[in-house]
Amino acid sequence: MRVCGKSDALRAWLAAWMLGLALAAGAEFRIAEIQPKLIGDSLQFAGTLDLAFTPKVEEALAKGIELTLVIDVKLNRVRRFWWDQNLGRWALRRSIRFHALAGQYLVSDPGASADNWESFTVLADALKYLGALNELKLTLPEAPPAGDYSVDLRVGLDIEALPTPLRPVAYTSLSWRLNSGWTTWGVAR
Amino acid sequence: MIRLGRFVTGVIPLAVLSGVLLAALLMMNAATQNSAVFGRVYSLLLLVNVVGIVLLLALILFNLFNLIEQYRARVPGTRLSLRLLILFVLLSVLPVSVVFVFSVDTLNRGIDQWFDVKIEQALDDALLLGRTALDAVKQDLIKRAQEMAADLETVSSAAPGRANRAALTALNNLREIHSVTELTLFAPDGLIVASSGEASLGASTLVPDRPNETILAQVRQGMPYASLDAQGKSGLRLRVVVPVYAREVGAPRRILQAIQTLPPRYTKLGESVQTAFAEYEKLVYLRGPLKFGYTLTLSLVALLTMLVAVWAAIFSARRLVAPIRDLAEGTRAVARGDYRKQLPITSHDEIGMLVASFNDMTRRIHRAQTQLKRSQQEAEVQRAYLETVLTHLSSGVLSFDSRHILRTHNAAAVQILGVDLGYAEGKSLEWVGERHPAMAAFVIAVRAAMATAQSEWQVQVSLEEGRRTLIARGTLLPALSGRRSGYVVVFDDVTALIQAQRNAAWGEVARRMAHEIKNPLTPIQLAAERMRHKFLKLLPPEERATLERATRTIIEQVEALKSLVNAFSDYARAARTEPGPVQLNELVRDVVELYQSGHEPAGGVAPIALRLELDERLPILVADAGRLRQVLHNLLLNARDALAGNPRPIIGVSTRLVAEPPRRFAELKVQDNGPGFPEAMLGRLFEPYVTSKEKGTGLGLAIVKRIVEEHGGAILAENAKEGGAYVTIRLPLEEVAARPAVPDETPARAAGRQLRGKGSS
Repeated sequence: MRVCGKSDALRAWLAAWMLGLALAAGAEFRIAEIQPKLIGDSLQFAGTLDLAFTPKVEEALAKGIELTLVIDVKLNRVRRFWWDQNLGRWALRRSIRFHALAGQYLVSDPGASADNWESFTVLADALKYLGALNELKLTLPEAPPAGDYSVDLRVGLDIEALPTPLRPVAYTSLSWRLNSGWTTWGVAR
Repeated sequence: MIRLGRFVTGVIPLAVLSGVLLAALLMMNAATQNSAVFGRVYSLLLLVNVVGIVLLLALILFNLFNLIEQYRARVPGTRLSLRLLILFVLLSVLPVSVVFVFSVDTLNRGIDQWFDVKIEQALDDALLLGRTALDAVKQDLIKRAQEMAADLETVSSAAPGRANRAALTALNNLREIHSVTELTLFAPDGLIVASSGEASLGASTLVPDRPNETILAQVRQGMPYASLDAQGKSGLRLRVVVPVYAREVGAPRRILQAIQTLPPRYTKLGESVQTAFAEYEKLVYLRGPLKFGYTLTLSLVALLTMLVAVWAAIFSARRLVAPIRDLAEGTRAVARGDYRKQLPITSHDEIGMLVASFNDMTRRIHRAQTQLKRSQQEAEVQRAYLETVLTHLSSGVLSFDSRHILRTHNAAAVQILGVDLGYAEGKSLEWVGERHPAMAAFVIAVRAAMATAQSEWQVQVSLEEGRRTLIARGTLLPALSGRRSGYVVVFDDVTALIQAQRNAAWGEVARRMAHEIKNPLTPIQLAAERMRHKFLKLLPPEERATLERATRTIIEQVEALKSLVNAFSDYARAARTEPGPVQLNELVRDVVELYQSGHEPAGGVAPIALRLELDERLPILVADAGRLRQVLHNLLLNARDALAGNPRPIIGVSTRLVAEPPRRFAELKVQDNGPGFPEAMLGRLFEPYVTSKEKGTGLGLAIVKRIVEEHGGAILAENAKEGGAYVTIRLPLEEVAARPAVPDETPARAAGRQLRGKGSS
């Protein structure tokens, strides 16, 4: 009986934890679809990232905390009988902040200079803009030889870019853990 | 493994770790206070601290575990270490805990107090004011934009090329009139129809800013859009987007965007308000995390302090207790008998002095112990030496304590007294006398002498009815610390010595008899013969017979006296031996043959049965064959005389090879079944003129003994248990036999050899 009671408690705790995970997953970052393409010595993307903030993160944004997203990109050459060869790795940063006086969300434009900010009245528009990879173009040192290539992609909230006092909280809270995890996509030529 | 354990429990790893953690905590604290340098590595510092503290905790737990294990194993000093540790921990952890609790409380209150409600309200109001002010400008721009849109309604856009030029001209005019920064006309699909901007704008503004799809959709539905755009460092600007209706029926509805950069003063003020508000909002929002951060730092500091204090407590307790533990181990070692134990002096305080005293003590004990051992060894050597001397001493030695209890004895004492004294040690002299009646005379004499308490005394004791004589000398032992002391009694069997003296006296008597008596005998005999010769013819026949009888008697008696004197002379004279190889068995057979054939007793006396038992292994010995023959004759004659009147007389003659390593003997034994020697004579059988026979000189056995001694042998005469007597002679073989006794040997020296012969038989 005692064992039963213990396992019931464990089951309940597990269920609660899974529920928590599921709720957090509702506001997770996700890579909807990406179509990478190798043109010459540049890697171009088409596709969007599904980005959504948790209420805690939204609150922090509304309170003037600038949030930085990191998009990690890895280009690999696929080898059949061996591990894939890594040809390059990029970490792209995009920031979003709230301008109280204007009542707008400002998103840094990755294509232009760091000083250039796009403004949006609605957060959803800002996130949509943030998640658009259509204009993303990465340059390789030289044109890669013929073969099969894949791209590993990940998007996440950069906790290290948060103000110092917020970092311990962010590290220890599920609400701040926004990360898509690595996804792999085939590269078209 | 042991070295690792020592390293882990040592001072260095903990000190280094504590130092690193303290530095990390200082940097973390700096990071919490918005230091840009440490802010970048804040998370790393936090991680370092957490890991470090976990390590520190592990080290301390390891130390504690070690201490508890030692406590369980009852290692000396751990009890005290643990007690000191608990005391130190209580003394350090409690104050730190109190300070920590109050610090956290004060910190939280302090942070809360930074945020004043009035300031917050003022900032809200300032923001609202700013918005209101900008709203007015915005409304004005909307109004003007709508006016401009109305003006543009007439500008056709049917033909792209021409119309665009017209539109551009119109836009330029309108922009000049209404003093806006940028005017752009868009086609319904969002494409730019014409745009006019201030010439002062840079090249970056050549491409007009296009409103996004949301804005365009809103305007297409006829609703104007107005917003204040923030543009990073370039400041604030107003964007108004309004629909431009077409006058012509069916013509598309166009869109006009007017952008008005705010005057620098507006921008500056607006940014200032925005920045202040944003910073304050951020601070308010970060109040919670800031508290968390500070509390975390403070907790880590407190934890570090406590852990370092605990570690210091462990270290100090161990350090304090180490010399005491060493002392405890040292005393145990001393208790076990290890007096060479020296402890390291690690300090110069009272404990150091104690350790030094301990070392001094063990050194002294060790020295004393060594000296004692040396003395014991010396005493042991002395004792062994004395024991050896005593064992090999021919005199008997007995020692008694003050109560006349026998303490020690030597082998010679056992041999002389003929009593096993092994179990008599620890017993009184009386006890020994009661157990051994033969020793009674000795015991009485010694006890009486000891009772006199004289420092030295000497007594002569006769044993076995005068057959043995002992001379005992007693010496008072030196007394220890005023106590009464015992005696050491040294005694010798002087029987042989007395015998030798007696023999010597007899020899002298014999010599003088030979000298004094033999000389007048010849004149007497000659006188008697002359008297007979001269007067026999002169006397009448009847008296002639008387003279004849008288002179014959004189001559016969003188002859008898002569032979007697000759016998004495033989005994007294030192005979010259002529040694040569002798086959003893042959010699025995020759002599015995004579007795079997030529000495047949007469007158119906039973014939003597002679039984020979000869050992054929007997080797040839070197001796004087003639004198040995005399020995055998004397013994056989003695035996025959003893068997007179015996109905079944038997004489047994036997030879035997006796080996008593390293010596070998030829043994000759003559035994009869007669009445045996009288008990009273047993001790003096070999003295001259000691005889139980009515006839005879009494010199037979004395001469036998003399000859045997001349050959270096020994003789023993005893009565047999089954009746009769026997005489045993032992003659040495080999090298001993090759050295016959010197002819001029005195009887006393010969007696000494008899004593040895007796001892070995």
